[in-house]
Amino acid sequence: MTDYRYIGKPIDRVDALEKVRGTARFVGDYHLPGMLYARCLRSELPHARIVKLDVTPALQVPGVVAVITSDDFIDHGRFGFPISDLFMLAYEKVRYVGEGIACVAAETPEAALAGTKAILCELEELPAIFDMEHALDPNAPQIGPAREDGKHPNFLGHFPVYDGDPEAVLVDCDAVIDQNYETVMQEHAYIETEGSLAIPTVEGGVLAYVSCQSPFIARGHIMRTLGLGETAARVINPPVGGSFGGKDDLNYMTAGQVACLALKTKRPVRMTFSREESMIASYKRGAMRMRVRVGADKAGKLRACHFKATYDSGAYSSQSPFTSWRASIHAMGPYRYDACTVDLTTVYTNNGFAGAFRGFGNPEVYAGIEQAIDELAEKLGIDPLDFRLQNCLRLGDTTPHGQTLTESVGLSDCLLAVRKASDWERKRAAYAHQSDPDRRRGIGVTALFHGTSLGAEGTDEATGTIEIHQDNRVTLTSGLTDYGPGSRTVYCMIAAEMLGVDIQRINIHLPDTNLAKDSGPTVASRSTMLGGNATRIAALNLRQNLDYAAADLLGCEVFQLQRAGESYLGPSEEPVPWEVVVEHARRMGLVLSTFGRWSAPKIHWDEEAGRGVPYFAYHFGAQIAEVEVDLRTGLTDVLNYYAAHDAGKVIFPQGAYGQIYGGVAQGLGYALYEDVDYMDGYLQSINFDTYLIPTSVDVPEINGSFVETHYSQGPFGAKNIAEPAMVPVAPTILNAIAQATGRRVRKLPANLERVLLGETLHKKGSPVSCKVALKSV
Amino acid sequence: MLIQFTLNNQPVAVEAPSDITLLALLRDHLRLTGSKEACEVGECGACSVILDGELVNSCLVAAPQVSGRSVITIEGVRAPDGGPNDMQQNFISYGAVQCGFCIPGMIMAGEALLLKNPQPTRQQIRVALAGNLCRCTGYQQIVDAIEATAKSRARQRA
Repeated sequence: MTDYRYIGKPIDRVDALEKVRGTARFVGDYHLPGMLYARCLRSELPHARIVKLDVTPALQVPGVVAVITSDDFIDHGRFGFPISDLFMLAYEKVRYVGEGIACVAAETPEAALAGTKAILCELEELPAIFDMEHALDPNAPQIGPAREDGKHPNFLGHFPVYDGDPEAVLVDCDAVIDQNYETVMQEHAYIETEGSLAIPTVEGGVLAYVSCQSPFIARGHIMRTLGLGETAARVINPPVGGSFGGKDDLNYMTAGQVACLALKTKRPVRMTFSREESMIASYKRGAMRMRVRVGADKAGKLRACHFKATYDSGAYSSQSPFTSWRASIHAMGPYRYDACTVDLTTVYTNNGFAGAFRGFGNPEVYAGIEQAIDELAEKLGIDPLDFRLQNCLRLGDTTPHGQTLTESVGLSDCLLAVRKASDWERKRAAYAHQSDPDRRRGIGVTALFHGTSLGAEGTDEATGTIEIHQDNRVTLTSGLTDYGPGSRTVYCMIAAEMLGVDIQRINIHLPDTNLAKDSGPTVASRSTMLGGNATRIAALNLRQNLDYAAADLLGCEVFQLQRAGESYLGPSEEPVPWEVVVEHARRMGLVLSTFGRWSAPKIHWDEEAGRGVPYFAYHFGAQIAEVEVDLRTGLTDVLNYYAAHDAGKVIFPQGAYGQIYGGVAQGLGYALYEDVDYMDGYLQSINFDTYLIPTSVDVPEINGSFVETHYSQGPFGAKNIAEPAMVPVAPTILNAIAQATGRRVRKLPANLERVLLGETLHKKGSPVSCKVALKSV
Repeated sequence: MLIQFTLNNQPVAVEAPSDITLLALLRDHLRLTGSKEACEVGECGACSVILDGELVNSCLVAAPQVSGRSVITIEGVRAPDGGPNDMQQNFISYGAVQCGFCIPGMIMAGEALLLKNPQPTRQQIRVALAGNLCRCTGYQQIVDAIEATAKSRARQRA
């Protein structure tokens, strides 16, 4: 076992001090002299044609300085990848309640709001579609972009996995489960709402501080929609107050809007959302309806899985082509089958819009498959944990996609770890026989695999830079953002470890498109692996130059060098301080700024055949929830939670455990409370008084642990953790509820009504709160 | 109107409209942006400050209400040498900080709790934090940090 100085050891997070002192400057904390405030006029209809849009009356409102519409952008501000169906501001049509139509810049927030009210905007309401099951009906109103391939315009994509013929196997199985499961949309609920600040530059460009996930993508959209050159648009990520996938496409719109207004007014322009505007305008985790059929033989061998689902992307595609694909890859769960089909269809509706959210389609499909697996074990009379152990993917197994797992497969060890930590056997047996008429306990388990990084979704590489300054401070850059998980700290740890210097020497710039190299999007739990490897290589390149200098100084060969703390030692010399070696390198003319690029191993996916190698590595995990259900009210209390994760080598322990705890909490909300409820396209919960996320008393003490398999391609053997911790939480809790009550809740969330009555009480909704909020400060 | 009060142990007098919140007074008029605006309906606690020893949501306090009273914000929490105090250092050491947006409010909630209950149980800490939402951490390391602070302060008093 290699003995590291920093890797795997406790360390203070590099950006924590400014955060605990309240001095970290989030976008909403910026104040510049002459700064204008921007506000969007947003659609109050779920689907409408923009018949008239006249902004001139708004310009008469005192304090209003400028107003923009889609006409102020090139190609009306069209953007989006892989499907360009979004606009910086609505063009010709609006497709969801809250869609931006025009944007006002004014001297005060009040004047900006008055400006939006003064805009003459005439909308002609169009028929809308809110039920994903009817999105592809022949007479359904067109929501998605027109297609030339003859397919329905509301058809967004089909995402299959094919491995043999599960129909033929299912008829042969001794036990089959055939059930429907349903998930609802989830709000990211980052505590910092969306925001961007744009400042015009002297050369006619724009500098934007954007609270987003991927500064290079934000810059790209600004460049293309405003006709700016690469150096004329610069994007910096100030501290980002939470994201979870949510500060992507929508905040690229706010960035584009304030950039456009800054260029137009030649003044700084800032836009920050109220919570209501954030919840109404922002995209969500998509809703999914699933039919899952799984079968096994009497001895408990899983034999076949047929997973069929519809996914609701709402009004725009955003990241749904990618989330749908990831969902399809994992929809059968981490098991071996004789045959498996996944058949996922994604559609457009007018239910807001769905995009990236932690887990990226996997919390949705796991809510189906991991309940179905439990139901099958129950039908067979086999302990659900034993059933998973018997069938889970192990080293050397081939997945239903056709990929053979050759290393770093810690799933069975994770299952064994949570079994032991939770005292599973005793509790499972005890909770099978309870007599209290009012309160019942249950314990449930799930197993997880989750592909690391982008997978066959796209090019997967990252670049980091490292530089020693004249004062011997070391500075890193990364094009990846740290919106909370701690990647900036991971990079500093890796650089210090590789260079053999004190971590106090290392600083890392905020992500800045003028300083850092494009490293792709900060998504898919890829920062540690991609950015970490890039930093490792950059530091190795720098270390090589310093080693040459040290060997030259010490009159020896590089291989003879040793280190004592930061100092270099030769075969016969006294220790030479690191600074002296650095100075000698300068005298030798060696460059002290290097970069490192890391490209992920090649993978491939055949979209038609539904087969290939979708990810270069997988995270594995197992979780157990222990609940107590009040049979009189349906209230579920999560008493204990156990999570064991194979994230490879853990680099930053406080950060990694923080991902487990935070992921479990977010999943607990998804399981029990959170429901983004669109009534005819109008969001019913628009602030934290009605959209409930878990508080400190809802979340139990969490027993987290790591199974540290070594992954040869990861930095120091590391894989990933951020998303996977959240992915299986909902079915874990639902499986525990099922043991407690003897009844399944197959639609999320497992709120009081569903647990108590098995159904949701009908609640009449109203468009009023949305409409009022869109007109309020 | 002129609003006069004690802010972080210093007297202040600030001219501001009478119909704004304490949060707006702090952020927009005094440029103390450590207290965060995140819901403005008193649900999230990101704007938490200590008013005469009580934890309050500054978004629910009308600015004139603080006249003649004492307000402590995150900017007023520090060690005598100006560095982070023990609570702040424990938040760092225990990994209680992720995105950091809720953290000023969490620290105010922790300090307010220890003013009233110097040796809380973990469950009492959780109850005291129930008005402060965090979406990143799952609260566990925040509870760790406050618990450690309470214990170390108790040792110092002993």
